[in-house]
Amino acid sequence: MMLSSNPLEKRLQLAGIFLIAGLLVEAICLFWALPITFVIFAMLGGFLMLVGLAIFLYSLISKT
Amino acid sequence: MPLATSLIVGLVLFSAVLIGVLVARPSVTISRDGKILAFVGLFILPIFCGLLGFASELDRSKTTAFCLSCHIMEPFGKSLYVDDPSHVPAAHFQNHRVPADEACYSCHTNYAMFGRLKVKMYGLKHVYVYYFGHQPAPEDIKLYEPFNNRECLHCHLGARSFEEGVMHNADPATLTAIKSNQLSCLSCHDVAHDLVHMKGAKLWKESK
Repeated sequence: MMLSSNPLEKRLQLAGIFLIAGLLVEAICLFWALPITFVIFAMLGGFLMLVGLAIFLYSLISKT
Repeated sequence: MPLATSLIVGLVLFSAVLIGVLVARPSVTISRDGKILAFVGLFILPIFCGLLGFASELDRSKTTAFCLSCHIMEPFGKSLYVDDPSHVPAAHFQNHRVPADEACYSCHTNYAMFGRLKVKMYGLKHVYVYYFGHQPAPEDIKLYEPFNNRECLHCHLGARSFEEGVMHNADPATLTAIKSNQLSCLSCHDVAHDLVHMKGAKLWKESK
């Protein structure tokens, strides 16, 4: 998939990709109630979601 | 999978699809409606899904099956079935003095403020040691700190069997000492997960 040449749209796309990855990690982890899935959910899923949200918020305040 | 978890997974997947549409066609965010859609899809829904999922994970981490899913905990799970009323965990589990599906958590959580967070941190340490560290033998596993009477009194305080118990009132100072954690409940009720002497013990078979 090609990222948009528009900087704002590109940031939104990047944010979306991170959020989708984070959401998929979280969805997969919810299938098992195991300590390791809890850690993956919180660490990996949470990290990807936070990065996605940060990029989205940055895109709101960026000039372009 | 429980219905609540299925609904959360459904919402998470719906959010992922919505975000996928925004990623595939970012130009929709030019219009006012598109901006609202982007805000909901890229900000509100992910936060909502994350919090719901985290709450669900936290809830499931209280279950007995969750705690016993690590092999190292199997003997502790077996000790819940010892056919001996003096064995404190077994008596609590078998008589439903604690919820059977949250047996470990009910006694081993910390009922103080932020106590649950503290035990979750211990739990993360357990996972680290289990996967990346040197696993101790089940018999060598010890509590991080002496068992606090607060965890027992969370249920027993005010109960007739506790307040009016013969041994608890044999000496007028005993009850006060127990309530102020100066005299440990385990000093008398001392058979808790006795893994060393449990081998060969008769086990209770739960009738389904």
